[in-house]
Amino acid sequence: MVETDSLEIFAKEMEKVQDALPKKIEANPENAEKGLAKLVLTLIELIRKLMEKQAMRRVEAGSLTDEEIERVGETLMKLENKMKELKEIFGLKDEELNLNLGPLGDLM
Amino acid sequence: MKIYTYAIIDSNSGMDEPIRGLGEASVYNIPYHDIGIVVSDLDPQVQIKTKESILKHEEVVERLMDRFTVLPMRLYTVFSGKEEMLLKVKDYYEDFIENLDRVRNKAEFGIKVIWTGNIIKERISNAYKNESPAHLTQSGTKFMKEKFEKYKIDKEFEEEADRCSAIVDGFFNRLASEKKLEKLKTDNLLLSASYLVDKEKKDDFKKAFEELRSSGGDLKYLLSGPWPPYNFIILSHSGDGKVGGMDISDKAFQHKDMEGNEGRGE
Repeated sequence: MVETDSLEIFAKEMEKVQDALPKKIEANPENAEKGLAKLVLTLIELIRKLMEKQAMRRVEAGSLTDEEIERVGETLMKLENKMKELKEIFGLKDEELNLNLGPLGDLM
Repeated sequence: MKIYTYAIIDSNSGMDEPIRGLGEASVYNIPYHDIGIVVSDLDPQVQIKTKESILKHEEVVERLMDRFTVLPMRLYTVFSGKEEMLLKVKDYYEDFIENLDRVRNKAEFGIKVIWTGNIIKERISNAYKNESPAHLTQSGTKFMKEKFEKYKIDKEFEEEADRCSAIVDGFFNRLASEKKLEKLKTDNLLLSASYLVDKEKKDDFKKAFEELRSSGGDLKYLLSGPWPPYNFIILSHSGDGKVGGMDISDKAFQHKDMEGNEGRGE
């Protein structure tokens, strides 16, 4: 039994949830390189996001000097740009590098 | 012949009414001590990864639920034969007994709530716009300021979602013995919750939903259930108790593309 006034809106939103979460690495002989790149880049993206979040927490707590902020910022910016390049090379979109982290939610 | 499994039930007796499963095969109960594994033989010609099969699986489990305490199996759990399946059941027997006791006389209900997340996020973003760090020349610092602004917007958005979700949860919390809440699966899907509810309180739960729905505001609500307790099965080793029922078979055909919809018919 399903009760709602807005079934279509919910169906559309649930479709978005499904689309946002690729469930497996599509690796086969034809696209092995891309499949592997997707797996590796997803892991790198996870680490990059964690680093970024940790940096934000430190900025929020006021525990970084101006110099440190500049240095961390430059590092994170370079990492982000490098990721953009790699995604372009392998033809991957942001949403393809998502991961369901269980109780922690989704990576992106 | 391979066998397709639907659920574990708290009975080792045969089915007292005919039920048809995948490929219209007869559904029967294989006893193991005081419990049973409800299965049907799987004709190799039958396609199991189809919409019809999902609906049939759910239909069988729901019929069982009317008469037994049920632990639904994950979709597409197939064993090469009775012996292989019983070996697995032996491994998980204690878990099954514990879970059957926990979910006895209970059913799962789902609540989903949509809010105007995009608009709320835009409102929060606009409040930060005047603080834009256009004057900064050092690139690393500018990058950090922009990221920090986004971090604060996301944080405020999540806090707002926490507040609204807590209000919604307040309508159902007292009626449930267990719950699982997932917030912001998308910006607009504020809450996706599952509640394990005593069958006696099922009408109170529906009444609480009506109260919530009539409380006004821009939010949109969806109630689904009663379902078998797909989200509330806990297996102590391996397995998972994830959405979609139990996965006890490492040889089972697993199909991940449908996760989130598995057997829920939502």
